[in-house]
Amino acid sequence: MNKNGKSINQIKLSDMASQNKLIFLLFFLILILFIIGETLSKGFLARDHIYAILRTASFLGIVSIGQTIVILTGGIDLSVGPLITMGNVFSCMLINGLDSNTAWAVLAVILLGMIFGSFSGLFVSYLGISPLVITLVTGSLVTGVTLIFSHGAPKGLASPLLRFIGVGRLFNIFPVIIIIWIILSFLTILFLNFSVLGRKIYYIGANEKAAFMSGVKTKFIKTFVYAISGGAAALTGTLMAGYTQTAFLGIGNEYIMWSIATVVIGGTSITGGKGGYIGTIAGAILFILLESILTIVNIPEAGRQIANGAIILILINIYYKQ
Amino acid sequence: MKESQQKIRLYFPIYIVVIIIYVIAGIIEPRFFTWNNNVNLFTRITPLILAGMAQTFVILTGGIDLSIGSIIGLTNVIAASLPYINTPLNIILWFLIPPIVGFGVGVINGYFISKKELPPLIVTLATSAIWLGVTLYIMPIPGGTVSLSVALTITGRLFNVIPVPLLIIISSVLIGHSVLGKTEFGRSLYAIGGNELIAYESGIPCEKYKILVYGVSGLLGSFAGMFLSGWMFSADPIIGEPYVLNSIAVAVIAGTALSGGKGGVVGIIGGAYIFYLLNNILNLLGITAFYQYIAKGLVLIIALVISSPDASKILQNFKNKVLYSKNKELGEIGRD
Repeated sequence: MNKNGKSINQIKLSDMASQNKLIFLLFFLILILFIIGETLSKGFLARDHIYAILRTASFLGIVSIGQTIVILTGGIDLSVGPLITMGNVFSCMLINGLDSNTAWAVLAVILLGMIFGSFSGLFVSYLGISPLVITLVTGSLVTGVTLIFSHGAPKGLASPLLRFIGVGRLFNIFPVIIIIWIILSFLTILFLNFSVLGRKIYYIGANEKAAFMSGVKTKFIKTFVYAISGGAAALTGTLMAGYTQTAFLGIGNEYIMWSIATVVIGGTSITGGKGGYIGTIAGAILFILLESILTIVNIPEAGRQIANGAIILILINIYYKQ
Repeated sequence: MKESQQKIRLYFPIYIVVIIIYVIAGIIEPRFFTWNNNVNLFTRITPLILAGMAQTFVILTGGIDLSIGSIIGLTNVIAASLPYINTPLNIILWFLIPPIVGFGVGVINGYFISKKELPPLIVTLATSAIWLGVTLYIMPIPGGTVSLSVALTITGRLFNVIPVPLLIIISSVLIGHSVLGKTEFGRSLYAIGGNELIAYESGIPCEKYKILVYGVSGLLGSFAGMFLSGWMFSADPIIGEPYVLNSIAVAVIAGTALSGGKGGVVGIIGGAYIFYLLNNILNLLGITAFYQYIAKGLVLIIALVISSPDASKILQNFKNKVLYSKNKELGEIGRD
C-alpha cells in the first residue's frame, strides 16, 4: 500500500480533528444502539446487563490492545487466536484450582505469550517476512504446542482468585474484569500518547524509512510490539479461564478476525501510523453491543455474520470518504 | 535472458524443497511413491492450487482477498444445491451458475476496493462475513448432493489413466501463467502492483483491471468450491475457512511478494505440495495431528526464509564472512 501513490491520498484520517470526530461518532453510535436495545427489550439498560456487555467487551478490548499497537506500526497479528487458546489452556493446567499457583502461573503464561510474539516480531523486523504470513505460522506453532501439552483434552481448573477476577465484583458492586480493562486501557493510552516509545510506534507506522533514518531503532520496536500483542493475547486467555473456569480448545478462534475488526471499526488505519486505543475501546463495545442486540431479536448465526460484515463495510465507507 | 534467470532463481528453491521432502518421504516410507498415493495428493492439492492462484492474482496488484474462503464455501453450497439429476440442462447449469456467482461476488469486492478506494484487507474481511452469512442461510449444516457422474468425472481418471485433477492443476497453472505473461491484463497487474500512479499515468485502466482481478479471484475460488463439492458429493458451508490463510501462505511460498508487483503462478504447485506432502508423510508415519501443526509451521518458516529477499542478503553476507575467514585460515596455513 505504501508504494501505491493513490493510497496516500486515500487516508483521510490525517488530522486530530477528524480523529476526534470519529471517536465522537462511535460513542454516538453506541448510545443509539443502547437506545435501540432498550426499545426492543425492556431491561437492556439495566445495570447488570450493561456490566455483562462490558465484561464481554473487556476480553475483546484487552486482546485488541496488542492488535492496535501492532496495526499502528503497519503490521498485523493473526496469532492472537491460538495465543488466547494457549493462555486459556495453560493457565488452567498450571493453576489447577489452587490460589497459591495463580500469580506465577499467570506471569508464566504472559511471558510465554510474549516469547511467541517476539518470535514473529524477530522474523518481521530482521528478515523482512510479511507479518500476515509469519504470524499465521506462529499461530500454527502455538496451536501445536497447546495440543501437545494438553494431549488434546485440556485439564485443570481456574483458582477461586482467578474466578473472582473473571466473574467477581469488587465490594459486590463493580465487576473486577472491567476494572482491569479500565486500568489497562489507561496505561495503553498513556503509553501510546505520552511515552517516547509510544510516539515512535506512530512514527514507524507513518513512515518506517524516515523513522529509521532519524535514529529510531525500528527493528527493536517492531519486535517489541509483537511481544506486547502476544502477552496481551495470552493474558486474555487467562482472564477467560477465570470467566469459564475450565479451558476450551477453540476459545480463541473467533478472536483473530474480531480483534482486527474491532481495531478497524475503532478508526485505526490499517496501513499504520494513525488512530489509537480510545477508538478501539469504542469498537469493542460497539461490536459486543451489536451481537447482544442481534441475540435479543433472535437473528440466526447467518444474519449475525451479515450484520457484522455490513457494519464494518458501512463504517469504513464513512471513515475513508473523500 | 536476465528475466528468465531471475525467474529460475525465484522458483528454484521451492521445487528443491519439494524434491527433498519427496525423496525423504520415499526413503522413510516406500508406499509414498505408489501411484495411488500420488493421485490422492493431486486431488487434495487441487482446491488449494486454485485458491492460491486466485490469491496470487490479487496480491500481484498489492491487494489481498480474505473473502476467498467464503466464496469457496458459497459456491460449494450452491453447487450442491442445484438440481442433480443427469440432464444436459442440469449439467450446464451446474457448470455455469457457481462461476457466475463467484465472479459476481468478486466484482463486488473489486467495486469497493477500486471505485471507493477502501483498503482490500478490510473490505474482503467484511464481505467474507457477509457471504458466510448468505451461505449459512442457503445451507446451515453440511448436506446437499451433486450429480454422481459429474463428480466422478471431476475426480476420476481420463481414459482410465490420467487423473483429471492433475489435468486441472497443469492446465490452470499454464493458463494462469500465460495470462500473467502474455495478456495486457496480466502485464498490467504487475504494473499496478509496482506503482499504481505510474501505471495510471501510462494509460493502464487501473480501476477496471482492479475490479476485474477480484472478479477473477472469485471465479477461481468458485472453481475450487465446485471441485470440493464434486470431490465430497455434498457441501459444507464452512469448508472454505482454512483456505483463506493457506492460500496466502501458498502464494507467498511460491515467491509472490505481498507488497505487490513481483511473483507468478509457476511456484504454486510447489507451494501447495509442501503443504500437503508434510501431512501425507506424517500420516504415513503415524504421527499424531498435534505434531503436524509444528512440523507444518517449521517447514513454512524454512520456505519463507529461503524465499525472503532479506534472507538471501543475510545469507550472502554470511557466506562472504565464512569465505573470508576460510581464506584467512588458508593464508595462515600457507604461511606455515
